[in-house]
Amino acid sequence: MRELQELARKLLADGTVKVVIGWEEGPHGVRPAFVVDPDRADRLVFDERCTHNLASYLSPRRPHLTRLGKPAVVVKGCDARAVAGLIRESQLKREEIVVIGVRCGGVLADPSTAEPLSAETVADRCAGCQAREPHLADHLVGEAHPEPPGKGGRDARIGELEAMTAQERWGFWQAELARCVRCNACREVCPMCFCERCVADKTQPQWIESSPHARGNLAWHVARALHQAGRCVDCGECERACPADIPLGLLNRKMARVVEQRFGYRAGDDPAAPAPIGVFKLDDAQEFIL
Amino acid sequence: MNAKIISEDRLGALVADLVASGTRVTAPARAADGKVDYRPITRIEEAVLESELPRRSLKEFFLPPTEPLFSWNRDASGVRIDQVPTSFPPHVVLGARPCDAAAVDILDRVMGWDYRDELWFGRREATTIASVACRGVDGSCFCSATGRGPESTRGSDLFMTPTDGGFRVEVLTPKGEAFVTAHAGRFGDDPGPAAAGASQADAEGPRISLPTVQAWLERNFDHPLWEEIALRCHGCGACASVCPTCHCFDIVDEAEGVTAGTRRRNWDTCQVSRFTVHASGHNPRPDQGARFRQRLTHKFHIYPTRFGEVLCTGCGRCSRACPGGMDLPEVLQAITRLAAGPGQATGGEA
Repeated sequence: MRELQELARKLLADGTVKVVIGWEEGPHGVRPAFVVDPDRADRLVFDERCTHNLASYLSPRRPHLTRLGKPAVVVKGCDARAVAGLIRESQLKREEIVVIGVRCGGVLADPSTAEPLSAETVADRCAGCQAREPHLADHLVGEAHPEPPGKGGRDARIGELEAMTAQERWGFWQAELARCVRCNACREVCPMCFCERCVADKTQPQWIESSPHARGNLAWHVARALHQAGRCVDCGECERACPADIPLGLLNRKMARVVEQRFGYRAGDDPAAPAPIGVFKLDDAQEFIL
Repeated sequence: MNAKIISEDRLGALVADLVASGTRVTAPARAADGKVDYRPITRIEEAVLESELPRRSLKEFFLPPTEPLFSWNRDASGVRIDQVPTSFPPHVVLGARPCDAAAVDILDRVMGWDYRDELWFGRREATTIASVACRGVDGSCFCSATGRGPESTRGSDLFMTPTDGGFRVEVLTPKGEAFVTAHAGRFGDDPGPAAAGASQADAEGPRISLPTVQAWLERNFDHPLWEEIALRCHGCGACASVCPTCHCFDIVDEAEGVTAGTRRRNWDTCQVSRFTVHASGHNPRPDQGARFRQRLTHKFHIYPTRFGEVLCTGCGRCSRACPGGMDLPEVLQAITRLAAGPGQATGGEA
């Protein structure tokens, strides 16, 4: 913690950056912090409650943040994939930010809980994580942690869904999506949902109905899952933000698996790695194109 | 108004009576994922009258997330408009939280102000609300700081306080009286005023002065607080969707083919940028600081100025739902402190 605070203080004091985006103690657990004063760098914390992906705050769509000036952002390995995604998709230039990587041993699904990290409380994405040290980082801080607990219930759940009949699967998603009120929290917290104008907000013509009825909800969640295929960094923010607790991670994870199977690509933290959405290869499988 | 008693057994029988007569009964109950929602029940065993706060408030039973206003159909004979019904079958909410019941009553003010919202009041008139005294839920609750508390009867037709083996039921409105009379066999007479049970909820709550906040908001539209405090706000609107008093809506026309369609109203929120974006592309609320200021100002300045009370019942759902860790009581306390501290005379220019 001292190492992180000291680094943040130095970066602010010598003018390298104008703001350090990290985590602090809030009224109900840890929460995102925006440190502009080097003397306040001692607010910063990092522990297993730091679930939030702070790369969401790097989006160019947030003028009150971009006005602060050049940021340093504290990222876990999973979050670094979002930073890489933003660079890969030309939303950020690498030299416009300083990346402070933290070594991670898994985070809690709910950052406001006071429970210790365990197989029951850990965020689902952490089990078997291969990205516990961000390669993208300019500075890497913290000690190495043991592997996160847990077995990754989400992959098992996807297996159960795959084993269902189409009718059963349809029933499952109809029941889950029926709770959606189209608040769009999933979109707004997503670091990879950076479109200036989302297809779901277009009205002439309206491709996706804004009403939270069965038709509108299905159109929205299918469109979002497709737009995230091969782009989703699996940070879990959409699912954490959803006030209706819809298991959006299942959709995104399933799409990521399809992309990996078909294109041999997994969203990582190398901004130079070409993603299927942005490149054309002559040997891409094309048998599904009529 | 008087009071009655009802045993747990008879409450179960009352629910059975209601369901048998075709009355819709809603109560806090566990959804398939284990979380508590206000849900339709058919047996009292499904209800969890003392639990965590339901995921969403009662608002949606009067202002649904989406509802048709009318539909149209054009054929050779002309255009036909089909209105939606504005009267509704009887509905009983059992086990409402006092913060949620109060919110509905507070919203009656704006829903009946310059235009009487027929759909809102149609559902209001069809619905009898029986609340249960609250024991407090967690550290995000701040109902006492908004001028009511865990035993506030505001907005309830009947108010139930747990006793040994049942409930004492205060009858608060003519609708509540009619309900008790219609089901007289299930209620017993109240033996006398209940011993004032000390609420287990935190009666203190955070230190917030609502008049101070209202006065400060009047003068500090351009205060640097707004930009600073909204840095962590994603503008996602999760707060408004779980809020019992946020009531803004959008009206959309949805065509079904070329000759038919439906006009609907859907929940909307000032926390998203498209809420105020003009056709020209100009947005008078250009960033999250301006949007968060709007939400706070509407709740703690505009509404009390027009209707005499704040548009907030302290349920704390906004804090629990916020993925960015925003905390409304914290902001209200910060404003209370700012108003008391030096620099106030400058009108907040820092």
